Amino acid sequence: MLHPLPTLQQHKPWMPRLAFAPHNVAPRGDTLVVVFLRGAADILNMVVPHGEEAYYRLRPSLGIPRPDDSSAKQNERALDLDGFFGFHPSMQALLDAWTSQQLAIIHACGAPDESRSHFKAMELMERGVDDERGPASGWIGRHLATLNTGNSSPLRAVGMGTRPQRSLSGTVPVSALRSIADFHLGGDQRALQQMRVALNTVYENDVLGQDTLSIMDTLETLDPLTYSAARGTIYPDSEFGLALKQTAMLIKAKVGLEVSAIDVGGWDTHFAQGSTTGLMPNLMKDLADGLAAFHADMQDHMNQLTTVTMSEFGRRASENGSLGTDHGHGSMMMVLGGNVDGGKVHGEWPGLEEGQMIGPGDLAVTTDYRDVLSEVLVKRLKNPATNEIFPDYSPNMPNLLK
Amino acid sequence: MISRRDFLKLSALVTASAALSSCAPVYRRLAGGLPTIPWTPLDANDFLALNRLTFGPRVEERARFAGIGLQAYIEEQLDFESIDDFECEILLNPFKTIRMNADEIEGVTNQLFDGYDRERPATELRQATLLRQIYSKRQLYELMVEFWSDHFNIFIEKEPCFYLKPVDDREVIRKHALGSFRDLVWASAHSPAMLVYLDNQANEKSAPNENYARELMELHTLGVDGGYSQQDVMELARCLTGWNVKEHFWLGDFVFNEDIHDTGVKNVLGLKIQNAGVKEVEQVIERLVTHPSTARFIATKLTRRFIADDPPQVIVEKAAQTFLNTNGDIKSVLRVILLDGLALAQPKYKRPVNFIASAIRMTNTETDGAGVQDYLLRMGQTYFNWPTPDGYPDVSAPWQNNLMPRWQFAFELIRNEIAGTKNNLNHLLDVASTGILEDDVDALTSLLLGSPLERLARDGLIDSVSSADASPEETLQVLAAGILASPAFQWR
Repeated sequence: MLHPLPTLQQHKPWMPRLAFAPHNVAPRGDTLVVVFLRGAADILNMVVPHGEEAYYRLRPSLGIPRPDDSSAKQNERALDLDGFFGFHPSMQALLDAWTSQQLAIIHACGAPDESRSHFKAMELMERGVDDERGPASGWIGRHLATLNTGNSSPLRAVGMGTRPQRSLSGTVPVSALRSIADFHLGGDQRALQQMRVALNTVYENDVLGQDTLSIMDTLETLDPLTYSAARGTIYPDSEFGLALKQTAMLIKAKVGLEVSAIDVGGWDTHFAQGSTTGLMPNLMKDLADGLAAFHADMQDHMNQLTTVTMSEFGRRASENGSLGTDHGHGSMMMVLGGNVDGGKVHGEWPGLEEGQMIGPGDLAVTTDYRDVLSEVLVKRLKNPATNEIFPDYSPNMPNLLK
Repeated sequence: MISRRDFLKLSALVTASAALSSCAPVYRRLAGGLPTIPWTPLDANDFLALNRLTFGPRVEERARFAGIGLQAYIEEQLDFESIDDFECEILLNPFKTIRMNADEIEGVTNQLFDGYDRERPATELRQATLLRQIYSKRQLYELMVEFWSDHFNIFIEKEPCFYLKPVDDREVIRKHALGSFRDLVWASAHSPAMLVYLDNQANEKSAPNENYARELMELHTLGVDGGYSQQDVMELARCLTGWNVKEHFWLGDFVFNEDIHDTGVKNVLGLKIQNAGVKEVEQVIERLVTHPSTARFIATKLTRRFIADDPPQVIVEKAAQTFLNTNGDIKSVLRVILLDGLALAQPKYKRPVNFIASAIRMTNTETDGAGVQDYLLRMGQTYFNWPTPDGYPDVSAPWQNNLMPRWQFAFELIRNEIAGTKNNLNHLLDVASTGILEDDVDALTSLLLGSPLERLARDGLIDSVSSADASPEETLQVLAAGILASPAFQWR
């Protein structure tokens, strides 16, 4: 710097000097990755209750054959997990994480809301509230607001996509990132260099500006196209794969990432969803391949990383007349990480017989999604303020983390 | 002999007429042509005042303000109907859906063989909104349109608001933005977009839904501590049963459905309401809009918007009193807040819309209003896209940590890399140019920050970005982008 620029500040004596939290880009607890399956995923075909008679009665066409069903082709049968549940064959890639006990499943998990409306259910779940009257901010937003990690990075919380997820909204600013290239300042080298210097000059005394500049410099050198993942891992060539890959890149670049929120769309499978092949199996394969690649790539970081998948509700236990499934209730969550009590299906299984289901024939909810998130928040993200994050809710920890 | 300045004016006009006659994309010619005099520096107070009265002052607005003074300028802007806005109106011609009724809009979105073009009404409304903020000469009016759009927030993505909100924008917000608060609430209560957004179409005698009833009191009139109870909410919800939206013939029009109306006696805020069908709510609204809590709530929000995040109580009280004295005359309340309040103004961080609009206006940039929407999205303030009924935050803190898209916007705006957008900063600076870089930088900083930087700061800035292989013009360009990206420009 040739001259400091105090006068830019003096020039506007009314410009406030903002009080900043201490400069520190280390997250206090784990980095949290939240994967939201938009459209109400048909979890009964993802983690198949193959020990349940009723499942096959209710799904004569869509049901996934038992692991020992010799009348079905080997590659069309469920992959047994614990003698009662099995993965859909498209989710084979996750078996490694399962057997290494870093993947836990919480079945019959979800929210109390029975509107069966995507809009309402997603809204409530992302806000972490029981009805519209709760706070307008999102549960992750309140987590960030109640946990002062001293991290002022603009990439403290990132929504992968064109705009930040509802769950991220709150008083702590978050970034939407379609691509790491969003953090590149394009242009020819000379102009770019000049602009870089100009920004440094005008933001000389501004912590947020300096943080943003340093992140810009770090990310300027990162390119998802040339990224080489650990263990020769290849991420799926999909939006989801790219989002996970970029999350991995941000974690490794140490730019202060504490939360990454990723959406996977397309799960509203009312029509011809496919049993072992087709629309939904393709979605499951993308999901499983992506998570498995992330798990492999991030092996060395698994002790500081927790990944959670969720969906706004489940789908009807019985298939509908157009080889799809309609809106249901109970869903399923997966938790992936180095401190997970994994290789287990947690939660009480309510069953699919008449009298065991609710509403028009839907899986009941035996574990509230907030129980799972609360345990992750308290044990892994070191945030005890669950009463502020989930107001008017007292969580019961399902003990799925060590 | 034609002077350089005249030549520039002429060429700008030629370009402009060519652009206008070609129609698409809708390029805007330079507002009012090029200024004939360079802009004079403004002192900090005047610059701040103009920043609160406009979406970022254009040079002609500076000149006008300097010519007639604050008070006359405010009066001129309040009397918005006397300001000819034909040039802006012409730009809105392509956006047919903003002039249609709900039924027609729904028809337009549904007539394609290969799908449902549900995006068009929202896209047109967003584009039109930005163009009005940038090109309308009725700047104070447009600021009030923005204010009420937040106050009576509607999330356009909630079904089926995409074909209802354009009507609400025209018939509720724009129609009454500087009118009477009573008319505004009345219109909003009859607005199908609002009724759908806040679930009143599901409010029936047999299954009451309190959503709209509550927000009508909590967010639209009394304020959360305004002195109503849960019982009042439930009773008002009963009055509102049957306030509904047509789903078939004249789709999207307001309808009162007597069959699902609760005909019992209600008691709202101590007001006993006999069965009177659709007339019941009229009594409640009359009560709400004349209530001292409402006066205070609206005065507080307006003062926060125009004066300071933490609104000075002396202004709030005076404005609230004016609200009560004038029966909620919005112009009168606003006049008090601006005339008495601007002297007490505290810095406010520009919300994304304000940042983008001010950068475009102050650099005399031409835009079709389309390409810049992407930046609003990344900065988090897409129009009509705030999900909850409280509207986009109106304080500085939530907006401060997302600098990267602002920097990119500044850089790409100056480098003319934004689709459908072309800045004329060089033309503008040429008017004031002496051919000396330092003078040009003074003209630039005076334009964007009100008055030139002190010499030391200016020379330091120039030195820091100067590069041996960059021409002074290129350096000036980077300086312009740097100033637009600077902390000083983020505050207004």
